[in-house]
Amino acid sequence: MSSDDSVRKRAKRGPERRGAATTSMSSATTTTKTAEAPTTGPRGRTIRMAGLIAFAVIALTLPLWSTPYWIRIATGVALWAGLALSWNVICGYAGYISFGHVGFFGIGAYTTAILMQPDHGWPFFATLPVGIVIAAVFAVITGWPALRLKGAYFAIATWAIAEAVREFTTVADWTGGAGGLTLPIGPGSNYFYYVMLIAAAIAYVLCYALLERSRFGYRVKAVRDNEPAARAQGIDATKVKIQAYVLSAVIPAVLGGINAYWITFINPQSVLNTIITDQLVVMVLVGGLGHAWGPAFGAAVLFLVNEQFLSSFGSSTSYIAMVGVIVMLVVLFLPDGVVSIWGRSRRTRLVRQLLGRAADDFRSGNAAGSGGGR
Amino acid sequence: MSAVLEVTDLGRSFGGIAAVDGVSFEVQQAEIVGIIGPNGSGKSTLFNLLTSVHKPDRGQVRLFGQDITRTPSHKIARAGLSRTFQLPALFVNMTVRQNLWTAAVEGDWRGAPELANEVLELLDLAHVSDELAGSLSGGQQRLLEMGRVLMQQPRVVLLDEVAAGVHPRLRQTILGAIRELRSRDATFLIIEHDLELTQDICDRMIVMDAGKIVAEGSFEEITHDPHVMEAYLGVPAE
Repeated sequence: MSSDDSVRKRAKRGPERRGAATTSMSSATTTTKTAEAPTTGPRGRTIRMAGLIAFAVIALTLPLWSTPYWIRIATGVALWAGLALSWNVICGYAGYISFGHVGFFGIGAYTTAILMQPDHGWPFFATLPVGIVIAAVFAVITGWPALRLKGAYFAIATWAIAEAVREFTTVADWTGGAGGLTLPIGPGSNYFYYVMLIAAAIAYVLCYALLERSRFGYRVKAVRDNEPAARAQGIDATKVKIQAYVLSAVIPAVLGGINAYWITFINPQSVLNTIITDQLVVMVLVGGLGHAWGPAFGAAVLFLVNEQFLSSFGSSTSYIAMVGVIVMLVVLFLPDGVVSIWGRSRRTRLVRQLLGRAADDFRSGNAAGSGGGR
Repeated sequence: MSAVLEVTDLGRSFGGIAAVDGVSFEVQQAEIVGIIGPNGSGKSTLFNLLTSVHKPDRGQVRLFGQDITRTPSHKIARAGLSRTFQLPALFVNMTVRQNLWTAAVEGDWRGAPELANEVLELLDLAHVSDELAGSLSGGQQRLLEMGRVLMQQPRVVLLDEVAAGVHPRLRQTILGAIRELRSRDATFLIIEHDLELTQDICDRMIVMDAGKIVAEGSFEEITHDPHVMEAYLGVPAE
């Protein structure tokens, strides 16, 4: 079984881990995460920094030496990397499987679209903070009851909430109904590339600082792993869950606003389609659930594969089948996602734990009616 | 001197079964009180009622004179009451060290790394400090539960079978840690099946059976109490 070979792997890596652990202990005077030391010694850190700088240089100079086609692709990668990140916040870090994340994407898109209609005429950047506020308020109002649910029940509740948003935009007048809304034509594709890239980069830095380098991250992960124990450490679990949900909601709202201006036409089918959430789930699972950089990686790979499929075979259902196979292989053999191949990360039990919890909910739900835990 | 913990007529039923049925007692500062009783006698439920994991149907709990009967768990923890869980409730996807740091997240966060190193040494967990808590052995998991208590620097501690399955040498370590905390005026309530261990460390014992307190007193007194013999052996003593 895989747990056996994880033990073996760990045993093999034992001595170097231990060595690194002692050095981390002697330098553990700051509150930064020295516990990550085993794979991030001074040399590892240099390599990482170099990689990050190289990536930044390539990303920032891309429009100078690339073609418009690749700029468009890169904009898409930035968009999906940011969206996948936001889903990772609520699922990978907080442990709540949200199947309604597209709702926040749609809220952001519609906020920008409505405010930029000629009769309002707001400048583009002024609409983004409004989208953030609306998404945050919506997350608090829906999260407050929904986050009391666990596992599968939360997934169902969030899915229903997103469907409600979609139905609302379909029937309401001021959202353009099923016909959707047309936005003013924006500046060129380089503009959108940079805006999307910067938005996604800010989202990553923000989430990394909050979840990997601060107390908040410890609170969130503690609640994910064991809520009663987290409460017993003095952590206000209800508050922490809502905070994490809000954080994961405002990112897609901003990206949704940028996306709406980029594609210049939105309707419920395009920006509130459940398939968007499904994509996010797959990207995060493939990249690495609960890992800081997993979603970016999964998003980039799957978006590129998807584009390649579209350009080679046209709109085809074979992509869906292939994604299904990838998900099965990853969950079975790489439960920590593709990022775990490099050994940067430890093997967690997150995927199995969360899926197992959801399965338990259904089982106990069937056996004991509404259940709800002892 | 007023009691640190006062419990008055505490009761809670689950589906018609009275798990805790009118329990009243007091614990004084720096006292170590052992709670023993057969399985299902309501000991762990009592702990869950004291820490608001479950809400009681009736009765009252006072901590340092404050009514905490319906206070949320996290506020009780912040008031200085720390506990362990009968089934280790660790943060399994975090490392051992991160588990310890998390226990200080609402307390002395700046001092956490240093204190964590001390706790790791004390509980002989230093060599696994960067392993995931979920990969620890059963005994080590209980030690880590104890470690989180030490990180919280609590004033009142509820220990639920913290020494079960722990190596005898480390048991002594746990006992040492308890005595050390007590010397700093911490108060303890300890559920333990191992009578030798409770005899060693407890000032006073409470015996529970079927949700009620059936005896209270020194180890000598309760081991000669006919109710206790009945609860444990099923027959009245001679």
